[in-house]
Amino acid sequence: MIRYILGRIASIALTFTVVSVIVFLMMHAVPGGPFDGNDMPVSDAVKAKLNASLGLDQPLYVQYFKYMWGVLHFDFGIPFQSPGETTLQLLSRAWPPSLILGGAGVLIGAPLGILLGMAAALRRNSWIDYLASAFATLGLTIPVFVISMGLIMVFAVWLNWLPASGWGKPHAWILPITAYAAIPMATYARYTRSAMLDVLTKPFVTVLRAKGLSERRIIFQHVLRNAALPMVTVFLPMFIGTATGSIFVEAMFRVPGLGAYFVSSITLRDYSLEMALILMVTMMFCIAYLLSDIVYALLNPRIRVGGRS
Amino acid sequence: MTPALELRNLCKTYHLRQSGGVFARHSDHLAVRDVSLILPKNQILGLVGESGSGKTTTGMMAMRLVEPSSGQILVGGYDITALGHAALKPFRRQMQVVFQDSYSALDPMMTLAQIVAEPLHIHGLGTAAEQAEQALDMLVKTGLDRSYGGRYPHELSGGQRQRVAIARALILRPAVLVADEPTSALDVSVKAQIINLLLDLQAEMGLSILFISHDLSVVRSLTDKVAVMFQGRIVEEAATETIFTDARHPYTRSLLQAIPVLNPRERRARRFLSRAEIEAATPRLSGYGVSTGKPELIQIAPDHRLEAILQ
Amino acid sequence: MPLLDIENLTVSFPQHEGVVQAVRGVSLSVAAGESVGIVGESGSGKSVTCMAVLRLLREPPARIAADKMELAGVNMLTASRAQLSASRGRVAAMVFQDPMTAFDPVFTIGHQIVETIRAHRKVSKSEARGEAANLLARVEIKTPEAILNSYPHQLSGGMLQRAMIAMALSCRPQILFADEPTTALDVTIQAQILQLIKDLQAEFGMGLIMVTHDLGVVAETVDRVVVMYGGRVMETAPVQDIFDAPAHPYTQALMASMPGRSAGKQRLVEIPGASPNPSNPPSGCPFHPRCAVAEARCAAQVPAFKSQSATRAAACWRLP
Repeated sequence: MIRYILGRIASIALTFTVVSVIVFLMMHAVPGGPFDGNDMPVSDAVKAKLNASLGLDQPLYVQYFKYMWGVLHFDFGIPFQSPGETTLQLLSRAWPPSLILGGAGVLIGAPLGILLGMAAALRRNSWIDYLASAFATLGLTIPVFVISMGLIMVFAVWLNWLPASGWGKPHAWILPITAYAAIPMATYARYTRSAMLDVLTKPFVTVLRAKGLSERRIIFQHVLRNAALPMVTVFLPMFIGTATGSIFVEAMFRVPGLGAYFVSSITLRDYSLEMALILMVTMMFCIAYLLSDIVYALLNPRIRVGGRS
Repeated sequence: MTPALELRNLCKTYHLRQSGGVFARHSDHLAVRDVSLILPKNQILGLVGESGSGKTTTGMMAMRLVEPSSGQILVGGYDITALGHAALKPFRRQMQVVFQDSYSALDPMMTLAQIVAEPLHIHGLGTAAEQAEQALDMLVKTGLDRSYGGRYPHELSGGQRQRVAIARALILRPAVLVADEPTSALDVSVKAQIINLLLDLQAEMGLSILFISHDLSVVRSLTDKVAVMFQGRIVEEAATETIFTDARHPYTRSLLQAIPVLNPRERRARRFLSRAEIEAATPRLSGYGVSTGKPELIQIAPDHRLEAILQ
Repeated sequence: MPLLDIENLTVSFPQHEGVVQAVRGVSLSVAAGESVGIVGESGSGKSVTCMAVLRLLREPPARIAADKMELAGVNMLTASRAQLSASRGRVAAMVFQDPMTAFDPVFTIGHQIVETIRAHRKVSKSEARGEAANLLARVEIKTPEAILNSYPHQLSGGMLQRAMIAMALSCRPQILFADEPTTALDVTIQAQILQLIKDLQAEFGMGLIMVTHDLGVVAETVDRVVVMYGGRVMETAPVQDIFDAPAHPYTQALMASMPGRSAGKQRLVEIPGASPNPSNPPSGCPFHPRCAVAEARCAAQVPAFKSQSATRAAACWRLP
């Protein structure tokens, strides 16, 4: 187990390095620089000076190592689009709304989805199963901005209960979080249903019934525990993936989160911020997969205690 | 006479990595050790043993479907052990295999005629029309009429599928057939049909069959000779009736002991030997040569080999 | 009063292509302490019959009907969920074919035996665990404590089958259903497990229903045999009679086709054709298309199940 985790950490370091190199090269492979925009014409001399002041005139590999050296010291440079603060300051300002939106969305959507999936699996081919399936399919196929617009129409325009946008007061959070919760809810419902059904058809469930265990005990102790195995590998990464927020929901409800910066840092050639965002997302996913693998191993005795002695 | 198939000192070692600690331990598992076998032309040799005895691995190595770690495989007197893919192709025509689970071995999207004709196609033998005609003939030979040519595997019963698998294996008129538990998955009332089919085809086509099985009752009705495998090695080999009437190795005896009685009147209390007891009960012989103190396979009669310790 | 009493049981599964009639009018009774073998091929309805008695089939899709289906006086057709749970494991226990898939992979063997005991009796965990260890010792496991702490994937098939037998016996059932308990095991282990079941049946004085496709298993273990084919009972007789003088043509053919009956490489007596397709069974006697002595009426009408003597009965037009 220790050996396994050490190996995984080494591979995360490798992934991280490879991603950083590829992203860095790709960013700079795109023609143009931060001061080539038509809306801000500057003379070539000024441009050269600006580039020199930001170190953009140096060879790429020097720039890369300089940047990564900074990253190792938690220095992600200065975002060109907001030079008055450091990249870290920008992140710590813009991330919390995204985190609240994503976190609350998953924390509400996931349990509801799991319950819905369980109900569907336990009452297979009943109305609740069909309803859950229909809901899950809709949740996954209707784009989130359509859901957002629907919510705004009903609750903000017609009923006038909640604000249509903004992030100031907590009651403004309700609509974006609801819109965002639809996706994890639908996904979790589908996964839970199929994981449960898969376990319910296993021979050992028949054996448990033949032993005279109550149906409740069979479901809650045995079936759920087994169904949780395939579920953790999907759920944890997804859980953490959502912490970066949703560009669409943030745009629809004008939430001042990170989403906008993912787009603007690319179009504005904001190398520092772009790198920081991608490295952050990469690191979070790496950690999420590591955690889910560890949880999987802890839940699964075949991995935890090894094979035949 | 040159045997149809000869295995000389075949070994197969699997390297296992055991989990645990920061440093993994490696160990070698000898799945098959020093197996030498002769399958004479036009005979059926039974290879008997329990799961993990190495019997299937031995059969797969004979087909070059699993690479041996050491040893030699001779087909019709030619050493095919080291042949590359292209050089092996003509020999592949001479050796075919039938598995226990014929359903997963038959492509569900192909008709039976296509399935049976496929080996001809692969080896580029004859025109498409000739191939189809031969396939239908082969289906008839295995007891399915020509109308089956247009059907698909899912329309068949287990016994019929096994007939198709045998038809496909035999369409190239191989010299050697390896049959790995071909009757184990079949219904009791159908088992006899497939055993009879193998017997008939063997006589008619001059086949030599390596019949791998754990079912001693089937082996008794079908084979000329039996080799018993235990823990990766052959512990006894003799003519089939000799095995059933004069088994000498404790493992062979415990296998025979385990066969269910054919009549309730013969019910008896049995004593079972553990693996360690079997190893400890290895026969001790004198008068067959110099003692090495270790178990070795000894020719105790013209047609009888036995693992024993020489004294 | 018999321990198990089934009259005219039918089990069907509606499917897209039509209704699959898995069991078609089976009557069976087992007395306390009696051992009965149900012999049949795949699709004969032998396993479905046992699963139906304990109501272990998923209903729907399965549809169970019978004139009578009583287990130790409890009407299993109308039993409540609580009554079923109380009967299962306690009155009737079951041992299944594949021990490798019969245990929940995420719990230890000990946990799974203990929960069985505690589902039926109010005993403490440690008491139940002590009983579990004794049971494992009784099924000839040499290191009960180590096995209790093992997970299923750590054990061999033979070891798991012993543990499953121990688990089945943990509540001292009055009848044990053993559904092909040795089919998935190695030959030498098969013989050991059969011997064990036989010994325990005598020791515990329980009834035994041994479901198998193997006449050899029957010859080894039971007092009475029920031969099933195509969802119907073909013949029932004391085990010795079945082997000495099988009455039904199907039983006769099955006996004759057993490999290894005599010395020497030889063709066997074979039964032509294949087992009936359960969604499209033949009319009349299900065996008539493969029967060497079938007559016109065999295809037209189902033969009645008639007694030949106090202990024997068969369903065949050619029998008196």
